[in-house]
Amino acid sequence: MNTTTLNGIIQVIHYLFFGYAFLAISSYIILSIISAFETIEYFKKNSFVNYKKILSSDAAPSISIIAPAYNESLNIVENVRSLLSNHYVNYDVIIINDGSKDDSLEKLIEAYDLVNIDYLINQQISTQPLRKGVYKSTNPAFEKLIVVDKENGGKADALNTGLNISNSKYVACIDVDCLLLEDALQKMVKPFLEATEKRVVATGGVIRIANSSIIKDGKLMDVNLPTKLIEKAQILEYLRSFLLGRMAWSRLNGLLVISGAFGMFDKQIAIEVGGYDTSTVGEDMEIIVRVRRYLEEKKVNYKVAYIPDPLCWTEAPDNYKIFISQRNRWTRGTIEVLRKHRKIAFNPNYRNLGLLSYPYWLIFERFAPIIEVIGIIYFGILIALSEVKWDYALAFFILAYLFTILLSLGAIFSEELTYHQYKKKKTGLKLIIISLLEPFVLHPFILYAAVRGNLDYFFNKKKKWGEMTRKGLGKANN
Amino acid sequence: METYKIVQNYLQELPFELQLVWILSVFLSLVVVIFVIYLKVLRSSLRKKEALQEEYKKRYETLLLSFLFDESNDDKLRNQENEFINIINAEINDNFNRKIIIETLLKLKNEISGEIEKDIQHIYLQSNLKSFAYQQLKSKNWYEIAKGIKELTQFKVEEAYSQIKILINYPKKEVQKEVQLYLVSLFHFEGLKFLSSLKSDLSEWDQIELLEELKHLENQEIPEITDWLTSKNDSVVMFTLKLAKMYNKYENVDTLIQLMNHENQKIRLQVILVLTHLQVLDAKSVLTSKFKSYTEEEQVAIFKLLENVFEPSDEKFIAENIHSNNFEIQLSALKMLKSINKNTFSKLLINKMAFKNSTVLNFVQNN
Repeated sequence: MNTTTLNGIIQVIHYLFFGYAFLAISSYIILSIISAFETIEYFKKNSFVNYKKILSSDAAPSISIIAPAYNESLNIVENVRSLLSNHYVNYDVIIINDGSKDDSLEKLIEAYDLVNIDYLINQQISTQPLRKGVYKSTNPAFEKLIVVDKENGGKADALNTGLNISNSKYVACIDVDCLLLEDALQKMVKPFLEATEKRVVATGGVIRIANSSIIKDGKLMDVNLPTKLIEKAQILEYLRSFLLGRMAWSRLNGLLVISGAFGMFDKQIAIEVGGYDTSTVGEDMEIIVRVRRYLEEKKVNYKVAYIPDPLCWTEAPDNYKIFISQRNRWTRGTIEVLRKHRKIAFNPNYRNLGLLSYPYWLIFERFAPIIEVIGIIYFGILIALSEVKWDYALAFFILAYLFTILLSLGAIFSEELTYHQYKKKKTGLKLIIISLLEPFVLHPFILYAAVRGNLDYFFNKKKKWGEMTRKGLGKANN
Repeated sequence: METYKIVQNYLQELPFELQLVWILSVFLSLVVVIFVIYLKVLRSSLRKKEALQEEYKKRYETLLLSFLFDESNDDKLRNQENEFINIINAEINDNFNRKIIIETLLKLKNEISGEIEKDIQHIYLQSNLKSFAYQQLKSKNWYEIAKGIKELTQFKVEEAYSQIKILINYPKKEVQKEVQLYLVSLFHFEGLKFLSSLKSDLSEWDQIELLEELKHLENQEIPEITDWLTSKNDSVVMFTLKLAKMYNKYENVDTLIQLMNHENQKIRLQVILVLTHLQVLDAKSVLTSKFKSYTEEEQVAIFKLLENVFEPSDEKFIAENIHSNNFEIQLSALKMLKSINKNTFSKLLINKMAFKNSTVLNFVQNN
């Protein structure tokens, strides 16, 4: 190969990388702008809403909170108390003890005066069998609580059991260790009730990070910025993702994922599509894609809604080992879902789903880490070949870095102008500093986890959920 | 100077695309710096605003409470009221102050009832606050209009009726909703007349809000609803069905039964719910005779109705459905059969093999 050909190839590769980066950056800018409009609209519309009326209404629809629990003995009693303290009237809490090996069930029985009852389950979705059965409380104060003890089948299987057990019209599927604000249910159910032209089939909520925040009796008392760099960086990452990204996708009715930590579904549709897929680690994304695909095929006019209010607070990994394990799982989940539903890709029959949402996820979520790694390897080769034009490399690196900072600052602005949760002095400065550091302290680990996720997906099929050790909200720094 | 020249020369010698990247980088750097400074200013101003809001709230609340709970003679009270209204009028030109004054008035109005509540309303009406709300009604911005209507509703300004009523079919739903709430909140059942001319859909959320508004009225005498039950607007029919249930409208049973022929399945389902609630025996024969023509969801609802009104004479119909593929229908049928005729039920237990799955049968046997 002569020098001219080599230079030509290098030139083409450069343009490909440049084109990809340009498209990615443009999409982020467009999504941020859409998100700003959507946020303003949301705030205007909701400034008139009186959420108190639905609380006392006989016409308020029933909601079941379904919370799977596996070896959550440490915090299960407090977590359930938090779930039982919601202000909504017509709701129940279904805890699915998914074959825990610890004493979660015994703790619940003791704390909530539970007794085993004869409960007939409408087995609409196939699940693992019950172990000790269904429990209800003898104490009227806990009449909303149902505890189901079943054989272990994973999170998706536990959620499916909850779908079978629930008698409600809507189900809120959440992680048991999440802290729900007291007004979470009425805010989440609103999109279902106010829709007149489109059928709302699911609502996604924002997940906020509660590490270092003060929680008392299952209630969020004081929001704090955590001390560890990895936790702070995740806060910024979540702000970007939920306040900029998902808000815009909601406007475009293109949401492909509702966080497994907190989402609400029309139970009928969740059962119609067969419930959660137990064969994937990305069950939260999979069910949304499947529901959308199903409704597109049936030509139903539907919407997946999104509520930007900070209603659900969770504990984020506070060390890199667990963080990498979590992101590895997210990557595998994304790959599994996109592969399973590849029929949708670029298919005009699926309208926005096929031509916008799916391609975006495929190109800018699924392939992004792979392209980035290829880029790094390619850069290494160029260094080895002494073909790097350092003035170009430096200029583009600085430009990309500045753009990343700007995007993070945009997310911080959005937070300040809307919910202003981090009120304490100097927190703003800390957030700015973290937006400067995040590309170095978090992004490389996300990239590493994504690469590991890809390798595990293709070469380590046995790998399932991975490790996720929690300390418990409000106890993180004790 | 020397460095500047070196940089300038370097940039001029660069290819165009690299020049562009550097220009963009400098621009983004400036934007970042501006953002950082603005963020600092924004956070400080938000903190200050919150503190100021608290301070003003306390100030207005103290002023208002000292007037409301003063037991001086009438003349002195009148003077105090005028003084307070003068203070309000002097400060409401500022949007920030006006917002806090209204919030304070509303907060106290919601916390206190009786004569004092009327005094608060009187202050609102005597001050210039009302005129600002009227101005908002004329705005081109839907948000301002809705805000104005909401305020006039909260302070029960009946004179605004003619100006608000005409907005009932305003293109933006939020405005329509505020108009509906104004009419019902101030004119009660009389206000429901808007249903006759409503062109848009009432969402379930709107319906809940209206029903809650009506629920708390002293006078619970609901007007004639037949016209709304036969409205061409399906959402009006749905809402009226909920009214019929809430106010036990037995006199509309014939219309309700006729509505079982409505083309909208949601309406038919709601009718069954109302009939269930009213425990209408007459409906039973109509519904069971055409049972198979209904959707599965409706059939489940019919069985729920039947659970409230079944009689021994229904045994044949119930027995026909004990092998239903629908879990809820089968459960309901078996429960009723057990209650009507224990012998027939016992025979089923002997011949369990006839059931695809005897779980439901066993459950009914044991419970």
